[in-house]
Amino acid sequence: MGNVKLDRLTKRYGDADAAAVDDVSLDIERGEFMVLLGPSGCGKSTTLRMIAGLEPITGGTLSIDGEVMNRVPARDRDIAMVFQSYALYPHMTVFDNLAFGLKRRGFAREEIDRRVTDAAGILGLAPYLARKPHALSGGQRQRVALGRAIVRDPKVFLFDEPLSNLDAALRVSMRNELVKLHQRLGTTMIYVTHDQVEAMSMGSRICIMQDGRVAQVGRPLDVYRHPANTFVASFLGSPQINLVESGVTPGEDGRSTLVVGGARIHAHCPPGHSRVIVGIRPEDFYLPGEAPDDAVGASLAARVLAVEALGAETVLLLDVEGVEKDVTARVGRSAHTAAGDLVELTVDTRAMRLFDAASGVALDPGSTTG
Amino acid sequence: MTTSIRFDLKHGFLVVALALYTAFAAGPFLWVASMSLRTTTEISAEPYALPDTLHFSKFAIAWTDGNYGTYFGNSVIVVLSAVAVLTVIGAMAAHCFARYRFPFRRFLYFLVFSTIIFPPQITIIALFQILVEYGLFNTRTGLVLAYVAFQLPITVYILESFFARIPSDLYDAARMDGYSEWEIFWRISLPVAMPALSTTVILNTILLWNEFLYAVVLITDDDKRTLPLGIQKYMGDQLIDIGMLATGLMIAIVPVVIVYVFFSEKLIQGMTAGAIK
Repeated sequence: MGNVKLDRLTKRYGDADAAAVDDVSLDIERGEFMVLLGPSGCGKSTTLRMIAGLEPITGGTLSIDGEVMNRVPARDRDIAMVFQSYALYPHMTVFDNLAFGLKRRGFAREEIDRRVTDAAGILGLAPYLARKPHALSGGQRQRVALGRAIVRDPKVFLFDEPLSNLDAALRVSMRNELVKLHQRLGTTMIYVTHDQVEAMSMGSRICIMQDGRVAQVGRPLDVYRHPANTFVASFLGSPQINLVESGVTPGEDGRSTLVVGGARIHAHCPPGHSRVIVGIRPEDFYLPGEAPDDAVGASLAARVLAVEALGAETVLLLDVEGVEKDVTARVGRSAHTAAGDLVELTVDTRAMRLFDAASGVALDPGSTTG
Repeated sequence: MTTSIRFDLKHGFLVVALALYTAFAAGPFLWVASMSLRTTTEISAEPYALPDTLHFSKFAIAWTDGNYGTYFGNSVIVVLSAVAVLTVIGAMAAHCFARYRFPFRRFLYFLVFSTIIFPPQITIIALFQILVEYGLFNTRTGLVLAYVAFQLPITVYILESFFARIPSDLYDAARMDGYSEWEIFWRISLPVAMPALSTTVILNTILLWNEFLYAVVLITDDDKRTLPLGIQKYMGDQLIDIGMLATGLMIAIVPVVIVYVFFSEKLIQGMTAGAIK
């Protein structure tokens, strides 16, 4: 198990003005499952490759267990990596793929056999050890890639979007298996993905990246409930959070009045803001009779534009007077509404988040950054 | 019904066209094959006739009296050495061009590849001088070196395009597994590129086995000659022994035909191989 510390890590390619990874600081504790999440080109894979030693570090410090690793070659970092394309050696059998790294490190034949057999047992690969990768299914190849990392028993596991080549059903089952594997091995894992569901369901913590920088780090539900800015708020959650701009009228007892559509909402808003962006998650809207008893609500009238009945829930696309963009609400599966209906929705204002209208930075105190 | 007739017509036309092309391509070969089993007297009497008696003894005569045994041995030594050196050096150069970024990479690649546009006649005089200078003229080593230089660009070209298609994750995985760049070349690049390597080996073997121009200029001793020069043996100033010439040609051609028959599938596979998944 290893503690991985990134201190102002930077990556710049050639003479490019913008850094691919810019001043990233992150402290990943021993045994933690850290997910680096972000859209394509945000620098998450480059960060992972710098940790792996596959990409030279332009600036900052990378240390593992207190030892600076900036100039240590990949092979001496005691790290194993699982690639998106699996990167199995096509000319070797599954056994040789698993044993390749161990042979290089001079393990005795018996020890190699033992480790490969153990890993094959854990991953259900025992019947396929004599096969070559082309004779395996996508899921089996993925397991071999995992096995190659497991047999090494490294300090840190790195995963670069390992599930994105699998079909939806297999992805869900592999996700669960990876979580189980983490619990079983207890090794530090750093996992790169652009899939928020993977991040939310697997990570002990999530690090959301934007344009080469860290946008927010925190436990999945904390980040979901207290996004640091509008980017994080929009990136997490499906359907996306509703972001509505509103004027602020300061009131008494520190509570201000916000106007969202026709509704006047009382909320705590730090002084000095005349306009804010109000963030409301789709699941924080309730149809009449659906709101929990303790919900602190405001009422909002809307016209239904479209209804998506998904079985477990119903997603409504709404036109709210005075709000430019369409609003999305996720309501109960028994909702009986049709396009064109007028509905009166309750908004749970406790779950509502406020952001600065100019910078998009969160105004509520629960947010954590960096 | 109409579709079936149209298909039959199309099919028939294709068969006729292919048959004509096969006759055009294979005709001369079969003619030489038939002449190789006939005597010059028989050929002079009736050039296109099939052999009455199969004179297999002509092969033994060419092999021993015509010195074709020595030529054959020389061809094997020269071609195998050249192909071995070409494959190793070509693969190393191609691996570097495909996998590493270094100053003047594109320029160097262009420089290597640009030599492909020059016909061999342009370089032959300079090459002759250089080999004389270094004491390599009229040696099999000199011929091997000339062959390596001559075939290197196309070898690098074929292998580079293959190496470039190998996913870089494979190399990264080997680096993470603890292997050095040198080990990665031998243990990953070469085995993975086997289809392309087979292609270059077969292609170079066939081309060099049949090569005449460099051999005729750079080799003068009879006991150092390669098979394509053997035909000179039966070509006098006044007389050409056409029967023995055909026998000698068959000795030279048959190994190439065998190589092609057995490895043509591999050759095509290597030429058309896609990226490794």
